[in-house]
Amino acid sequence: MINYIIRRLLIIPMLLAGVTVLIFAMLSLLTPFERASLYVSDIPKRQGALELIIEKYGLDDPIPLQYWHWMVGQEDSETGEIKGGVLRGDLGWSKVGKGSVTEVIGRRLPATAELALWASIPMIGIGIWLGVLSAVNHNKLADQILRVFSIVGWSIPTFVFGLLVLMIFYAKLGWFPPERLSDWASQIVQSDSFTRYTQMNTIDALLNLRLDIFFDAVRHLVLPVTTLAYLNWAYMLRVTRSSMLDTLNQDYMTTARSKGLAEKVVVRRHAVPNALIPVVTVAALMMIGLLNGVVITETIFSYPGMGSFLAIAALSLDVVSVLGITLFSSFILVFGNLIADVLYGVIDPRIRLQ
Amino acid sequence: MPEDRVILKVDKLVKHFPIYRGVFQRQVGAVHAVDGISFDVRRGETFGLVGESGCGKTTAGRTIIQLYKATSGHIYFNNTDLTTLKGGDMRHMRKSIQMIFQDPYASLNPRMSIADTLNEPMTIHGITRGAQARQRVDELLNLVQLNPGFASRYPHEFSGGQRQRIGIARALALNPELIICDEPISALDVSIQAQIINLLEDLQKQLGLTYLFIAHDLSMVRHISSRVAVMYLGIIVELTTVKELYNNPLHPYTQALLSAVPVPNPVIEEKRQRIILEGDVPSPVNPPSGCRFRTRCPLAKELCAGQVPEWREVSPGHWVACHFV
Repeated sequence: MINYIIRRLLIIPMLLAGVTVLIFAMLSLLTPFERASLYVSDIPKRQGALELIIEKYGLDDPIPLQYWHWMVGQEDSETGEIKGGVLRGDLGWSKVGKGSVTEVIGRRLPATAELALWASIPMIGIGIWLGVLSAVNHNKLADQILRVFSIVGWSIPTFVFGLLVLMIFYAKLGWFPPERLSDWASQIVQSDSFTRYTQMNTIDALLNLRLDIFFDAVRHLVLPVTTLAYLNWAYMLRVTRSSMLDTLNQDYMTTARSKGLAEKVVVRRHAVPNALIPVVTVAALMMIGLLNGVVITETIFSYPGMGSFLAIAALSLDVVSVLGITLFSSFILVFGNLIADVLYGVIDPRIRLQ
Repeated sequence: MPEDRVILKVDKLVKHFPIYRGVFQRQVGAVHAVDGISFDVRRGETFGLVGESGCGKTTAGRTIIQLYKATSGHIYFNNTDLTTLKGGDMRHMRKSIQMIFQDPYASLNPRMSIADTLNEPMTIHGITRGAQARQRVDELLNLVQLNPGFASRYPHEFSGGQRQRIGIARALALNPELIICDEPISALDVSIQAQIINLLEDLQKQLGLTYLFIAHDLSMVRHISSRVAVMYLGIIVELTTVKELYNNPLHPYTQALLSAVPVPNPVIEEKRQRIILEGDVPSPVNPPSGCRFRTRCPLAKELCAGQVPEWREVSPGHWVACHFV
């Protein structure tokens, strides 16, 4: 197992290098002028400015050379100092984020992580529970209702469901506002009296013993969490259900019953643990997806996370930001997959990682 | 035969599986898997139940242990009617009747170690706990001739024969009186089959077990059983001692089955006359009227279609259902 993890860790840099080459190759689709225009306001009046920018940042250099500069940094022609370079931990300057890309990620990630954390509880917990319920009552009324419920959830696009709940619960009823905090709460959070341990509002509020801020943060989370949860429940439910049905038909279920176990014990002790093996993989991938930011959901609810930032950056052609965030997302994806694989080996004794 | 020696009495047991069709899932018929079988099993004997695949022998076994609810009929175990027992009482009764399953690959929970699998029934029924349980696991593994050091391993680490031994150890964990062996050797290769059969025989001698042995391998049944019932399409057609059945089979189906067993001597094998049955087993959804075997029977006459043959004792202890015996 340890050997397996080490080997996988050694592969990660190669994978990430491959990812960077792929994303960088896509740069060649943009002309240097398109890329430079982000940094110049009032283009018609300042013709020369574009050329200056292209010259300064080497935007018309060959793509491989630009890749090299992006990876290891570039010597500044005036001071002789080496600037930038992903390998030196510098993802570059984000024009849209008004800071370095690393800073922007540091600022945006806690919000996304908070949303992911809250969404995964109902998504995984209730999803699995409903799936088990559906399988145990196979083809009975409860199963039929849950199947309709899940198909509906899986079929509605995020933007339809998200806009619908936003219209009803915010525009009409005013119960659950978008964004992260109300104005009054966000003033307190940014003041010196409030320590931001994790940057996740709900957790920080509890740590600062501010229940009013906690509830305000929860109020803002309700809609995006519900949207994410409902649309993904459906998937969880179906995966759990089919896996459970398969397990319930195994011979060792009959063995368990013939031992004299009550039906509840048979389901809880023998069926569920076996049925959850494929579910764990799905759940892990879902969590990774959430951590990388959910572009549509975050955009609809003006939630300042990684997803909404990626959307803004991409629309403004802020190449540096998009590159940095994509690299970071790949990093999480690769790592998350490793964790899921290791977990798989832990819960299923038949799988020996080698 | 004194009545008190009877450990299991099956009385006109019927098990039908309903078939649902259509939008409203109306019941349109039923699979007549077991259609009124009766027999006694005596304490300490091995009672063989043979028949070709699909004849209902596995369903019979599973209904007896109440994994399926009987459609009608009664099952008396030590004079208690199992069909009337509810939830908790039945689970309690499971202690005394255990089952060995056909497929040793599928019948063990892959996520439980051998020790956990063996311990679970004992914990549930409050038999052993803690260090005592540990000791009992070793004891059980010794009993089935497995190394007690294997207790912490998982099922996938064993071969088929070893797994079946674990299945047997699991059945023995609760000190049952009756064990239903549902084709315990048909999933194993031939060299292992003999080992498992010998183990079952040794255990019977040591622990005074009673077996209801369900199989389709006639030579194996002849080897292990004291009495045998032959099933065809949900009913029993002949029941007698193993000696009588193999020397003097009366029902034409039994005769055909026995003639299909190959003889190891090539000279005899060359010369002997085989009875070849024509056609397939009819569908258990619409079994033939009268005698169920009539569609394939070489002796069939008009009488067979109109009248169900009587189940009668033609000589002491030899029962058969055929018009022409």
